[in-house]
Amino acid sequence: MNKKVLVVDDDPDVRSFVVTVLEENDYIPIVAHDGIEGLEMIEQEHPDLVILDVLMPRGSGIRLYRHLKTDEALKNLPVIMFTGIALRSFLKSQKALDEFKGGQIPMPDIYLEKPVEPEELVQAIQKKIG
Amino acid sequence: MEIKKLLFVTKFEDLCYDALNSLLSLRKAALDHVVFLNVIERDNVTMKRGQGYLKEEEVKLKETANIRFIDWAENLFEMGLEVGAYIEVSSLIPEILKVVERESPDLIVIGHSHKGALKQLYAGSDVAELIRRTMVPILVFKHMMEDKIVPEKLFERPLFATNWSESGKKTIEYIKAMKNVIGEIHIMHVVKESALKSPDTHEVQKVRKAERKRLDDLCDELEEAGINARPHVYVGDPQREIEKAAKEYQASMVILGSSDKAAILERWVGSVSKNIAEKSIFPCLLIPGENRRY
Repeated sequence: MNKKVLVVDDDPDVRSFVVTVLEENDYIPIVAHDGIEGLEMIEQEHPDLVILDVLMPRGSGIRLYRHLKTDEALKNLPVIMFTGIALRSFLKSQKALDEFKGGQIPMPDIYLEKPVEPEELVQAIQKKIG
Repeated sequence: MEIKKLLFVTKFEDLCYDALNSLLSLRKAALDHVVFLNVIERDNVTMKRGQGYLKEEEVKLKETANIRFIDWAENLFEMGLEVGAYIEVSSLIPEILKVVERESPDLIVIGHSHKGALKQLYAGSDVAELIRRTMVPILVFKHMMEDKIVPEKLFERPLFATNWSESGKKTIEYIKAMKNVIGEIHIMHVVKESALKSPDTHEVQKVRKAERKRLDDLCDELEEAGINARPHVYVGDPQREIEKAAKEYQASMVILGSSDKAAILERWVGSVSKNIAEKSIFPCLLIPGENRRY
């Protein structure tokens, strides 16, 4: 059965790019426009993988990632970070939030900085869900 | 009344990272979320004779804004703040209102617009338009010096000018919520010259004494809340006297309750708050009252 991939990104051009890549590789794409809608879609649609932007209105990818990794039911959901925000800043933000809120959040397995070639994205997806 | 989320509206030439940086002291109060908004005015990208829709120009302007926002967002993310961003081709005020609806910020920060006198007369300024159309407090940012360096400690020494209106009461609650960031607040009331017109010196002195007493009570209330406060009575034209007091006490910003006047009257006659927000050299924080008319 084809696997369902949720794309959470506020940029319509990026959504369109990722959706095309997913369709061409026999995945079922679903989309959300921001972090809040992203969480709703995860709860409703139960995707196999999330491709997550960081800088978005109404709830950033940083907060959504943190929420996923601290939720018992969702913490094993694979996430690919796909963003213009540098990995270094992402790691520092998680460290600052770890110190402020307590706990330690595992780092994402795959962190892709935009833009990427379709092959690189497909490779990352296959690595996570086959 | 806490400022947890602020909406930072920038055209880049009027508000940059230094302005944003000066607001980050609000983290000591409650700030944990910053939303950026850049509005690309339609005129910059829409149909031009012989050229059609300027798609390339739109992409260029959006990506330029995106690069700036990513850079700013990285700094804020690293501090543990939540950050969001909007880059839209639209008209400024309707877009601000749309984002306010979606994000529910506690404060809107906007630079002063630079429309020409004639355009302002007919269309009104962006700031005046925004004051009329939102209930969210607005910080109108100014560059206080010619070299455009913004004050580092924006909340260090504010001046609150009260006219004892309903919006003034709401402003006091707002000020109390900023107790961790305010160094010392100066509180003033401007008595109109007409109130002092009496042949009896005793009567004139009674007016001053009564106003001073009200200010003292307000200072006591703020000091009980943990904010150092100093009262001042001025006499004359409110706009001129507020500007004078801000200079005399080297205020870092001016705080005002915004007018309850009907919009149409305000547009043509003007309110003290609107005029100061537009003309003062000081950053102005405008707190709307509860009973605004639109």
